[in-house]
Amino acid sequence: MPKCTIDGKELEVAAGMTVIQAALQVGIHIPHFCWHPDLPVDGNCRMCLVEVEKMPKLQIACNTAVTDGMVVRTNSDKAVQAHRTTLEFLLVNHPIDCPVCDQAGECYLQDQYMDHGLHDSKVEVEEKVRKRKVVDLGAIMLDAERCVLCSRCIRFEREVTGTNSFEFVNRGDNTQIATFENRPIEHDYAGNLADVCPVGALLSHDFRFKMRVWFLSETESVCPGCSTGCNIFIDHRDAEAQRLRPRRNVEVNRSWMCDPGRTLYKEIAVTERLTGARVKREGGWDGITVAAALDEVAAKLRAAGPAAAFMASPQATNEDLFAFKALADSLGGPLDFRVGGPQRLLRERLDQVLQRKDRNPNTQGALDLGLARDGVDAILKRCASGEVKVLLLQGVELLRDPSHVDAIADVPFVAVMATHEGPELDRPDVVLPAAMWAEVDGTFTNFQRRVQRIRAAFPAPGDARPRWELAAELLRRCGGTLAAASARDVFARLAAAVPDYAGLDYRTLGSTGRALLLQGLAAAEARA
Amino acid sequence: MGVTRVVSVDRNTRPGIIPILIGLRTTLVNLLKTVFLRGAATVQFPEQKRPTSGRYRGIHLLTVREDGTPKCVACYMCATVCPAECIYIESGERPEKTIEKYPTRFEIDLLRCVYCGFCVDACPEEAIMMSRENDLVGTTREELIIDRERLMERAKLAEYGPGYRPSENDVRRPVRIAALERLKREHGIVPGPPPRG
Repeated sequence: MPKCTIDGKELEVAAGMTVIQAALQVGIHIPHFCWHPDLPVDGNCRMCLVEVEKMPKLQIACNTAVTDGMVVRTNSDKAVQAHRTTLEFLLVNHPIDCPVCDQAGECYLQDQYMDHGLHDSKVEVEEKVRKRKVVDLGAIMLDAERCVLCSRCIRFEREVTGTNSFEFVNRGDNTQIATFENRPIEHDYAGNLADVCPVGALLSHDFRFKMRVWFLSETESVCPGCSTGCNIFIDHRDAEAQRLRPRRNVEVNRSWMCDPGRTLYKEIAVTERLTGARVKREGGWDGITVAAALDEVAAKLRAAGPAAAFMASPQATNEDLFAFKALADSLGGPLDFRVGGPQRLLRERLDQVLQRKDRNPNTQGALDLGLARDGVDAILKRCASGEVKVLLLQGVELLRDPSHVDAIADVPFVAVMATHEGPELDRPDVVLPAAMWAEVDGTFTNFQRRVQRIRAAFPAPGDARPRWELAAELLRRCGGTLAAASARDVFARLAAAVPDYAGLDYRTLGSTGRALLLQGLAAAEARA
Repeated sequence: MGVTRVVSVDRNTRPGIIPILIGLRTTLVNLLKTVFLRGAATVQFPEQKRPTSGRYRGIHLLTVREDGTPKCVACYMCATVCPAECIYIESGERPEKTIEKYPTRFEIDLLRCVYCGFCVDACPEEAIMMSRENDLVGTTREELIIDRERLMERAKLAEYGPGYRPSENDVRRPVRIAALERLKREHGIVPGPPPRG
């Protein structure tokens, strides 16, 4: 374990760690363009030069391993002057079109110009080397003029997706980044190229000209797109999600996320969302308050008793599932969630990077909580034979399959917690408006059995409520109690009731979650 | 306008006819001065208007390129700096590759605006300026939210003249000055290009 001193701070680091990583550990940010924590070191931008005692020349921090007794200065006059000079070179052919560039506000060039540069350009804008602008590469827009030739995108394509789309072309001043014959980027991870690009050369097509980034607030969350559970930020403004962005978690998704996941924010848009409860009367739908709808459902549940059946949803959080199970247990009816068999796909890869075949975020959580109980087929059989008087659905999965809808045709009363309008909502007799993942606090358990927090970024539209709250209200009306006023309370109850989750609470989960032991599967195998 | 004399009021003056006569004398002197010496202190608005400074901060205008499109590139700097949050912009794509962005909507709520002129200072393109137009009249709130077309087509501009706008020698913006001073203080680096050699 070598010991070193960086800017007067003494620290002990793991062997083989580079200076730039060691500095980050003690909160010292060394300016850089080409270094990325999840990409191999390239050392081409020369921005991270630092002064190392007893070394004649400045060293690049990203490719200098810490050795015992090393004394590093990142802010000495010599180092700062080197940063300025390097930056001036990088800016020689930069078009300075910050006003039209979407990267403005999260651009390394801008930040470092304000920190280290502040020089007047020696090159007139008209004299700069012109390169290709506004090149449409599918999900990505390329602007070669803004590029600082850091090769992050090249290394991403080589190391993460293995597609090798990008390469440098031409020489000297005319070097620029390009894909072969301007072919579009076709893999599912193109959005990451816009994230790894430290400047505005590669930008997201979807986010183009939509919003200046400094207007956005970020909320830590977890992608609900599949069982991988990538850590994300929800960037939102005025209670409207504007984009999803990966959040670094070395154990799950490193710094990446897939493009299908990135588009999920569009589902939250307020149009087509359910904003109030409704009940089917003779002659059509009747909009009523959520409380009245809950009264109606609870009355039916009380009358049915054990003849009520429950179908949970692997889209729901652990808190939702726990409250739903408490409701089912209090009435003694059959309960399951495995519509379409997500548990079989839970750990199956869709590709070699991140995506998994199970498109639900919390199948593992539902299994952990014991919701795989009576079997979907058995419940449907009971529905068909008329044993089930009331069917309560936590999600719309069952209603999306026509054969299942036929099977429950004879159930006298079906209630569903739904988020969006849709043709599947013709069948149920009561529709309860549910909040979506970006609007609730809770936890998802991913395929590795890592329990991760999701956080409410903004309020749900209209009267939509978290599913656990709907279940808790029904439980109260049926004579039981959940004794919980918030998602945090529900999780505390859950941790007390489920042995595997014992000792967990929202504080210990933190921002990157906590992994539980995988039963029957080595953790390493699942991660591989 | 001549020099204004500040008259202090002596609160200890005993009530009576004398102070009233003193007051009437002041009124009479002013009346005679107005009639015989310098004319009326009021103007006959709206036929007449008071002269305003060349830096007067009146209603905004958007400058226009030669082809009639707005000079604005929808960078949102004005909307960011606006303390009254009265500027609303939506941006779109234009075919030219050098200036690929332009505002599809640009609205200023003149009733919320505090006429501070920060939007003019923030603009990197000299696209938003202010005129000296100051008689803001409308019968509904909606007609005082002026849109992109009305900001570009300011019929009354010739009548009032341009107001607050960026001047040639005002390029060192406050943020940059503060950053330069920090660099000098902490590292002894003097503003300007790095020394050669």
